[in-house]
Amino acid sequence: MSFQINQSSCDMPLSQSAIETTKIPYRSFCARAAAGFVLAMSISFIGADKSYAAEHVIEMTAKDISDDGFGNKLLAYQMLSHKIDGLDVTDRYSNAPTIPGPIIELTEGDKVKLTLLNAIDPAYPVAGASKQVSVHVHGVHYKILSDGTLRVINRKLDEGAGEGPEDTFASYEYEWDVAPGTAGTWPYHDHNYENHNGSEHKGLFGAIIVNPAATPRPQNSYKFSKEYVLYLGDDAFWGVEIDSTTKKQTKHGVNPTLNAPKNTDVRFHLIALGTDLHNFTLNNYKWFDPGTHNLINQVAIGPLEKHVFVIRSKNSTQYVDNNFSNKLLGMKGRFIVD
Amino acid sequence: MKEQIIKFNKHIAAMAVVMLFAVGFLSSSMAMAAVHSFNFTAKTLPNGQLGYATGGSDAEAVIPGPALFVKQGDTIQVTLTNSTAVDVGFNVPGLVNSNSAKATPGQTQNYTLHANKTGTYVYHGDNNGKELLGLFGAIIVDKKNGPIDSFVNGDGSIVPVTQADIDKQFVLFMVGSTFWGTEISADGVQKPLWAAPNLGAVENDLVRFHVLAIGPGHTFHLHAHRWLKTDTATVIDTKLLNDGTDTHSFTIKAGSGVGPGDWQFHCHLIAHMEAGMHGSFRVDAAGSGDGASVVGASPYGNILLGARPSEPGVVTLEVSDEPASWFRSPRGDAIVGLPFDIKSKSLEVMYPGSSVNFVMSDTNGVHTISSLLWPTGAHHMPFDQSAAYRGGGIVKLTTPGLYVFTCKVHPYMFGAVIVDDPETEGLDLGNPAMDYKIDLVTGITGLPTSSDLAVRLLRTFFVATSPSNWQDYSTGIWNLKFPTLPVRISGAPFGNIQDGGLALALSALNVVDAPLAVGAAPEKPGVGEVWVNTQFEKTAGKYKPGTTTVVDTTNWTVKRKVALPEINNNNPHNMWTNRDQSVIYQTQWFDTKLSMINRETGALIKNITVGNTPSHVVTLPSNDDLTIAINGENGVAIIPAGTTSVSKMLPTQAHGHTSANPHGHWVSADGTKIVTPNINTNDIGIYGATGGIHARTPTGNNAPGAHPIAIGMMPDSSKIYAANLLHHSLSVVDGANGALLKTINLIADYNPIDGSFADNDGNGAIAVGVLPIQSPVSPDGKAVVIAATGGQIVIVDTKTDKIVKMLPCDPGCHGANFGAKEGGGYYAYVTTKFGNRLTVVDIDPDNNGDISDAHIAGYVSLVDTPSTAKDDTVSSLPGFGGQGVLAVPNVYNGWVQNLPDVWKSGLTAAQRNPVGH
Repeated sequence: MSFQINQSSCDMPLSQSAIETTKIPYRSFCARAAAGFVLAMSISFIGADKSYAAEHVIEMTAKDISDDGFGNKLLAYQMLSHKIDGLDVTDRYSNAPTIPGPIIELTEGDKVKLTLLNAIDPAYPVAGASKQVSVHVHGVHYKILSDGTLRVINRKLDEGAGEGPEDTFASYEYEWDVAPGTAGTWPYHDHNYENHNGSEHKGLFGAIIVNPAATPRPQNSYKFSKEYVLYLGDDAFWGVEIDSTTKKQTKHGVNPTLNAPKNTDVRFHLIALGTDLHNFTLNNYKWFDPGTHNLINQVAIGPLEKHVFVIRSKNSTQYVDNNFSNKLLGMKGRFIVD
Repeated sequence: MKEQIIKFNKHIAAMAVVMLFAVGFLSSSMAMAAVHSFNFTAKTLPNGQLGYATGGSDAEAVIPGPALFVKQGDTIQVTLTNSTAVDVGFNVPGLVNSNSAKATPGQTQNYTLHANKTGTYVYHGDNNGKELLGLFGAIIVDKKNGPIDSFVNGDGSIVPVTQADIDKQFVLFMVGSTFWGTEISADGVQKPLWAAPNLGAVENDLVRFHVLAIGPGHTFHLHAHRWLKTDTATVIDTKLLNDGTDTHSFTIKAGSGVGPGDWQFHCHLIAHMEAGMHGSFRVDAAGSGDGASVVGASPYGNILLGARPSEPGVVTLEVSDEPASWFRSPRGDAIVGLPFDIKSKSLEVMYPGSSVNFVMSDTNGVHTISSLLWPTGAHHMPFDQSAAYRGGGIVKLTTPGLYVFTCKVHPYMFGAVIVDDPETEGLDLGNPAMDYKIDLVTGITGLPTSSDLAVRLLRTFFVATSPSNWQDYSTGIWNLKFPTLPVRISGAPFGNIQDGGLALALSALNVVDAPLAVGAAPEKPGVGEVWVNTQFEKTAGKYKPGTTTVVDTTNWTVKRKVALPEINNNNPHNMWTNRDQSVIYQTQWFDTKLSMINRETGALIKNITVGNTPSHVVTLPSNDDLTIAINGENGVAIIPAGTTSVSKMLPTQAHGHTSANPHGHWVSADGTKIVTPNINTNDIGIYGATGGIHARTPTGNNAPGAHPIAIGMMPDSSKIYAANLLHHSLSVVDGANGALLKTINLIADYNPIDGSFADNDGNGAIAVGVLPIQSPVSPDGKAVVIAATGGQIVIVDTKTDKIVKMLPCDPGCHGANFGAKEGGGYYAYVTTKFGNRLTVVDIDPDNNGDISDAHIAGYVSLVDTPSTAKDDTVSSLPGFGGQGVLAVPNVYNGWVQNLPDVWKSGLTAAQRNPVGH
């Protein structure tokens, strides 16, 4: 079967607002009450129907996690604290290190201060010269000191937490300007552990979802029951499911079984990482190629590209990577509609 | 050194020093459809790479080729003159081209293209991989009128741009794992930026990028900048460039919203990042910098015989499936023809600050490009990647000395670069600042280049990469020749050291006209056939190497050659057979295929895609399913009995962990366990035959790079033996639980400094196995026979797990496997890569259970004779490349019981049930 999202989006002219980023519900007004004074200021400047800048104060750490019983470890980020204009939303995240790492929801206009710590066991052997971890984010604006790279790359500093080749920091603060024009889903990942390439392929990756502040919005703005972030690795999907109402992030791990209530709209955020190129399908579903009116049922995706699409849940099926070897390795998962 | 040899190449010396040239007509928008005519010449650059030049015959060829800017509707006429030694075409995927022919060397062809669609197009030389050496460029077709692109401004607005708005453009070709760049100024002047450049701009410059790829795919990422997905309003910052040819053009405002900085651009494939595929996009604040780009490594630069010693140079090594030329310099033919013959096409010479570039342009397999040894203290070492891949690599070398690279998947692929200090006489083999010492990937540091081990490694290199140094028994004589260049080393292993540390040339080690005789065949016949993968033998009907040589053990003659020209059979490496012995399964190790061959006729039954770089195949004795180690990846492929496609791949590591890259696996006699030597993670993996990781046992005793490569198992599966190639050791592992029982040092009796031999391990035998490969256990469980590529056969008694014997083997000793001896007992059949005979070892001549009298029963030439049946004509390297070996009937416990009666009848009772006796 094929599925079309509502016709209005098909009629939307090609403009600054890509399809992948136009169907975000307004952020809950209630959740903003704690920041009323900001709201008032925002209204005075940009009007009530526009979103307004929020300040996110985030603290994360990185840990080594033991998961295969053979002495091999992966690395993972863990959310320690996330406050939006002072409102603590940390409980939407897992209280353990996860792969993928925390999915951070932002809105165009927001500012982020992210402090990274490093809780990797110092005894854990490092193959290269750097024991420093970092967060290098895609998509949003930041100055060179928030690039999250080593000095050998940025010519300024080893921009991470822990012992780098040239600079050592117990923690490192990144500032992101979630500027207009940065709406979309973007990966973040380590760029510093072991060497200047980082260890994103060992588990140090997550994503930000930047909702657009653009106005005016469609009258019946889109509401997703669920959002799924699926990272396509070299042998498996690493996924997380987000309940759009509670914002809770669950089902972290390999090839997760995703659930959706029937006849609701759900959004998939695909990001690839590693060395393989992939060909993704969600069997029996079609969706719009972002930014176009083309209905597609598969997408080629390479490391650190993103591909975001919306479908209406009709039937249970499987998501699959059709890369020759990955498919044989069982790189697929269930999408259960009930 | 350089002064002596710089006067070589007259046509290079004549070349212009600086090369800036303008092409393209930035035609005015009101013009009618224009016709653009270009005179192209395909040329060979000083480092052997190929490139296109425009303009007169003196024009310098550039990589990427000249960028052609035209408007939609225009016509492009290209007259191509071919000054190279290979056929060169002008192919433009996506545009209609009047001519698909190629210009042969010295000839000219004309091509007319209609630029009827906007977009960016790759043009290339269309010559079977050689185009990846530099015969590629960009054609940019823009709209005739109005804006040609849009960028995302710092405030989020999308702003259209016209040609006149653009401050500079970059063409960046992603080839192998190297960026090749050209900068185009606002007035259309093109400046080559060569390999691995650093780009520059001033903040708020409007910069248009044309990113193109040819060959294996990439993703392009530029830090802190974002742009539009083509023809949409979707904002991206990473773009896939798919396999084959692909392009992506976009415009950015430099530093918009993010400010100045050294912003990295790179391919985002991990293996390519590790292979050096990155550069800097430096955005200068207005008024504090000129935004100039930094030119990268040039084929005209500071390399042996280079044209412009003042510029950083680049030597290139093509990764190839071709025997001995696995890392081949594109100017290899010229280099070995020099008066000071450096003997190997896989050895390059350059000067500090230049780079070595690798491109996997002549291979169907996946590889790594990994340091084996380097000068002590050298920067950027070791060079390595965490997974096998398609692509290439680039690394800048600043410390003088010898660098040897290998592929971890195919560890006899060798390429070497000598970074020579131009101030000293003689080629530097080690770091001059560290007494010419070298470090090895196995953790050995500060090894004097005068040591016996260093000399053996050099000798191994010059044997492996020079077929003229191989032992061709059909000629009756053997010559081993080394380069005639004087070298600088740590001491005096092979001659006098002159003042200043200059040693004799390596040619002091030459062997001249040594007699070479195959030797007598075994007196006692074997049972059945022996199939040998003569993996390097070339035949006339295909361009990929390799045949399978079938020896009749009843008379020790070569019965058949199986080349399979219809599938361009590529490096056949290892084999197994089905229960009734009617089908031979054979892997193509530099490819993606497994072949099924009719054993009686040698005819191809089926050629099956199984995954990247399959190495070994073994059946499960329990159900005849095939298990195939996918050496370039992370699992074991399963083909159920009676079917011809892979049903699943059993992972060899937990999800997300480093690929194990299993090589020469074995299966337990009851068919329940698959045991793999994991070359990338340096462990032995024990897996359930239906899946599941039972145990993984590191084999390196905490030292890096053990490189376990092949498994043998006791007939009752009680013990597992794994040869560790780079640690020269044999691991003994409990077959039930994977516990490491013992590590047998195979070079305990060898002094790596002075080369002396003594019974240092006190086992009563002086025995050494350098670089051990296959290590099967005899079907009766008495002996492990180890083929060591250093030229030894080592025999281990399984009762004591001690070495009992060393027997001689030819250089590149590799494969070993057992077959039945007529009347009882077993022969071990041992193959060699750089010799063309089969060595037959009798592990227990008197059949008394004591294997200390193991001896060489005889030899069999693997060269075809007039009576040999064949499906193709041997054209060169006859009988060479012996690797996988399989005796038919298969007499290992678990399999022998399944043989049909016709095969069982030729065996003794003990052979039919080896464990019961």
